[in-house]
Amino acid sequence: MSVDSRPVGENLVNTQSNKLGTRLGFAAFGVAALTMVAWFRQINQVDIPENRIVFAALFLTALVLAISAFVKRTRWFGAIPALLAIVIGGFFPFSMTISRQEVATTGIQVGQTMPEFKALNRKGEWFDSASLDGKPTLIKFFRGHW
Amino acid sequence: MVTVCTDTPEEIQKGYRKHELGAVMLSDRDLAVTDAFGLRNLGFHSGPFGLEGLPVPTSMLIGSDGTVLWVDQAENYQRRNGPEVVEVALQRYL
Repeated sequence: MSVDSRPVGENLVNTQSNKLGTRLGFAAFGVAALTMVAWFRQINQVDIPENRIVFAALFLTALVLAISAFVKRTRWFGAIPALLAIVIGGFFPFSMTISRQEVATTGIQVGQTMPEFKALNRKGEWFDSASLDGKPTLIKFFRGHW
Repeated sequence: MVTVCTDTPEEIQKGYRKHELGAVMLSDRDLAVTDAFGLRNLGFHSGPFGLEGLPVPTSMLIGSDGTVLWVDQAENYQRRNGPEVVEVALQRYL
């Protein structure tokens, strides 16, 4: 006695669809992972291009592939890479859209005099900008370690 | 050379040991120095929780008389200039 009452043909179609979905899941993850590796390589070389449209397109391709994996009903082991691809493929384009920064028009400009300031140094002691008087100085503001 | 960021002195000390930078590294937790220079990022704040904001990554050269000679600023924090840009400025202005 057959446990599944559906016609044999329908089962066959479902299985093929599952296979396609699973493949799409893995393909999505492949695209997302490779693009991410390329991204971090460029970051390490301080070489992220101004025009990041190719990166954005690749990440979004991974996102679309991953979503179609679920539409085509991937098997469970295809769902894991597909979910990862959705996270990666969604996060990076999002981070690109929020990475633009602005400063006030009152920000420091060439020709102005450096403002005086005091701040704690790495040993927890106060540093006074007066100690820089008479010395040419390179000052770098950055976003910190995290 | 002086660096300014929002890390605590302890965090800076850790990074200092790791990178062995021969710089005066300052902690600007409350953004007082960042604001004195007008460098607080007014765009989307993507920093850690519990922090009011972050400076826009900026390099500048100050002459011995305290005048700003050169400013290099990143419009986008994922993109910033490499060390060669600073080297060229150092050669040109100092």
